[in-house]
Parts: sequence; structure tokens; C-alpha cells
Amino acid sequence: MIEIKNAKKSFGKNEILHDVSIQVNKGDVIVILGPSGSGKTTLLRCINFLEKADAGTLTIGEQTVDLKKASSKEILEIRRKTAFVFQNYSLFHNKTALENVMEGLITARHIPYEVAKKKAEDTLAWVGLLAKKDAYPCQLSGGQQQRVGIARAVVLDPEVILFDEPTSALDPELVGETLAVIKSVAERGITMIVVTHEMSFAQDVASKVVFMDGGFIVEAGTPAEIFRHPKEERTKQFLARIISAENMYYI
Amino acid sequence: MGFNFIYFYDSVRSGIEYLPNTFELTFIPILVGLCLGILIAVIRVYRIPFFAPLLAVLITLYQGIPLVVALMIYHLLFMATFNNFAAVLHLSISMADINTIWIGIFALSLHATCYMEESIKGAFFSVDQGQYEAGYSVGLTRLQTLRRIIIPQVIPVALPMLTNNIVGTIKGSSIVMVIGITEVLAGSVVPASKTYAFFEGYIAAALIYWIFTILVEKFARRIEKRGDKYRRNLV
Repeated sequence: MIEIKNAKKSFGKNEILHDVSIQVNKGDVIVILGPSGSGKTTLLRCINFLEKADAGTLTIGEQTVDLKKASSKEILEIRRKTAFVFQNYSLFHNKTALENVMEGLITARHIPYEVAKKKAEDTLAWVGLLAKKDAYPCQLSGGQQQRVGIARAVVLDPEVILFDEPTSALDPELVGETLAVIKSVAERGITMIVVTHEMSFAQDVASKVVFMDGGFIVEAGTPAEIFRHPKEERTKQFLARIISAENMYYI
Repeated sequence: MGFNFIYFYDSVRSGIEYLPNTFELTFIPILVGLCLGILIAVIRVYRIPFFAPLLAVLITLYQGIPLVVALMIYHLLFMATFNNFAAVLHLSISMADINTIWIGIFALSLHATCYMEESIKGAFFSVDQGQYEAGYSVGLTRLQTLRRIIIPQVIPVALPMLTNNIVGTIKGSSIVMVIGITEVLAGSVVPASKTYAFFEGYIAAALIYWIFTILVEKFARRIEKRGDKYRRNLV
């Protein structure tokens, strides 16, 4: 179980997160929706300590740490229980696809080379990129890079994978293949927190949808509740605009 | 002005005789510059409190001093204070026992450190912040991320600039002539003190420096080619 309690974060005078709490059960797929600047990405980054929150606590499994005062040892422990998929892929440019996937296993977890290689190859095969294992990131398309990014996260068997707008840097044709891989991650029963603008993905895959705006959680519930019967005015507003935009896209 | 090939040949031989001094005056500063340069660059890139701003000010100040001026100051300081200094430490050596080449090496080392630090720091900033975050996200420590992800990407970017710094140090080493150290330049004009063939002497020095720097550049290009295999397809 993962629990974030009373997370607060501001950049200068600009308050990004006002007291945000989320509870995630094992195997849940949480999709966080919301307009730009609502604090979705910041929340995700605070969980992985890529950003240091100003207050709040984080519980992963048995371990509870203070989001502000965590020691570097605690931060490392949390990071080794979580994995992150970046918006712009952020593959290690100096390593091949296979080496990218192996890096965490070998350097962070000290798994023997041969075992790590086998595991990394299996995971690359699972995202359909075994043939590209010796390619450098610059030789891969955006969709392929993101699939390697997902493999790099999945191979670590983390308690939770955090997806930060994993498809928003991709062109529309490549979004599908990447979403399909993310969907199969969900089917493996891995706990996930996904920040995305893909509404149909949220409807299909999410076990819980969280709608954020202005640093608050406006509404949370099952996809059916949020998409069909939103309670809050702000949610209705947001969905009306997004869904009409999506329909236009199909025309 | 005629050109006497016999005098020229004598000058080349005399200049080559002093090549070891030029080697000392370039390779020691390059090594010191690389080590300190990397260290200072890392301190500044990671914004280590206290040290980072202090070093930034020191380097900015020091870069404003011409090498010749720095050399003159160190030489004067050395001559004015060495004997007192030795007396305080109860050293039984006098100023004459110290080879002034070390003053040249000291001054060149400080300059090489400043320039190389700037090159390395620039190369660090060419690596995207996402690379650090990706390293942390798979559970690497700061040091592991630095060693396995960042530095391998810094090196190919820094190499061309460092090659420039190294060639600059080689050529800069000729300046130590002003405090009486004999290296390739001073060595090449040694025969001219008898024959007055200064022109041949300077041409000889130019030739030796030229060959030396060409060799260094060729060697550096070869290393550069090996380092950028993952960037080959970047346009």
C-alpha cells in the first residue's frame, strides 16, 4: 500500500500542492487528470524525491518517510522501491537499450551480470524490442524509446511505477503502441500512478481516477463515477472541454 | 635578410635539446589542470555550499590576470620571500637550489586549471537534467549516476575544448622564457647569441612547437572518435 499524506509544495511564492493526500492499494492503477499547472507532475516527482516537498509523509509498504526531512539513505530506499517513466523518455544516452534496462539491476541492486542480462532481455522482448537491444537511444523512435523506458522501470519489480505523461511527447501514431505496453504493465498487476491526458486510456485501465486542479484534489473515484457522473462543477467543466476536443480529433 | 640553413639546423637541434623542459612545463600543468578542473567543475555543477561560490569568484578573478603578469608576480614573490621562508622552516636549502622551472609549472598549472574547469563545466551543462533524474529513479546514488551516466556523456563534449586548452598550454609554456627558464623557445635562440641568427632561431622554435601541437591534436582527434560512438547518429 502506498499513501501520501498532506503533501505540500511551493516554488517560491507559487504554491503548487496544497495539502494533497492519496491512498493507493496494491495493484491499483491510479490515473491523475487535470489541467496544466495543477500539480500532477509535481506530486509524482515528490513521491520519487526528484522534487523535495515542503511537508507531508509518504508510506510505501512498511516504510514511512517524511517528504521534507527524509535522509539520503531513506530517499535511496524509496527510490529503489519505485520506478519512474519520464515524459521525454530520459534514456541514458550513452547506453544501449539493453544496458539502459540493466543499469538499475547491476549498479543499484548488485544483481550478477548474466542474471541481469537475462532478465533485461526478457523484459525487452515483452515490450517487443528485443531486436533493438543493441541500439542506442538516438537510433530509436520516440515510441520505441518510451517502451525501453517502461522496460527499464518494469525490470526493477518496483512496488509502484510512476508515469509522468508518458505519451504526451509522442506523435499520435506512436501513442497507441506505447499505451498498449502501459496497459499490459497494468495487467501484470503492478501498482501504477499515471499522469496523462489520454481520457480513453483512463477509462479503460484506471481503477481510480483522481482529478486535480490548482494544487488540490478536486474529486476522486472510479472511472465510471468521474466520467459519467462527476459531482464537482470544476470536473464537469474540464471533462466537457476535453471530451469535445477529443471528439473533434476523431472528426 | 638571408636565411642560413646551417644556423637554422643548429637552432633546431638546440631547441630539441630543451624539449624535456617544455614537456615538464606542459604535461604537469595539464595533469594538474585536469584533476583540479574536474574536481572544481563537479563542486560547481552540484552547487556545493560555500565552496562553489568561493571557487567561482576565485576563478573569475584569476582568469583576468595575464599569464606573464602572474609569472612575474610569482617570480618576484619567490625571490623576495624564499630565504625567509626557508629560515622559518629550518630548511638548509637556498634559493639557488630551487629550479625556477617550478615557478613556471606552478603558474601554468593555475591557468590550465581555470581554463579546463570552464571547459569541463560547460560540458557538464550540456548533459540534460533528465539524465541525472533517470539515474536517481532507477536507484543509483549521486556518485554512481555521476560515474556511470554523466561523466561518460561529459567526456566527448569536453574533449575538443580540452584539446584546445592543451594546445594553449603548450604554446603558453614559451612565455616562461621571461623569468629565465630555458625551454624550446629560449633553447632555439641559444646559438643565436653567438651568430646573431635570431630569425633562424625563432623559425626553428616555431617549427618545433608546430610539430608538437600537430601530434597532440592528431592524438586527441583519435580519442575523440572513439568516445562518441553513441552520438554518431545524432544530427
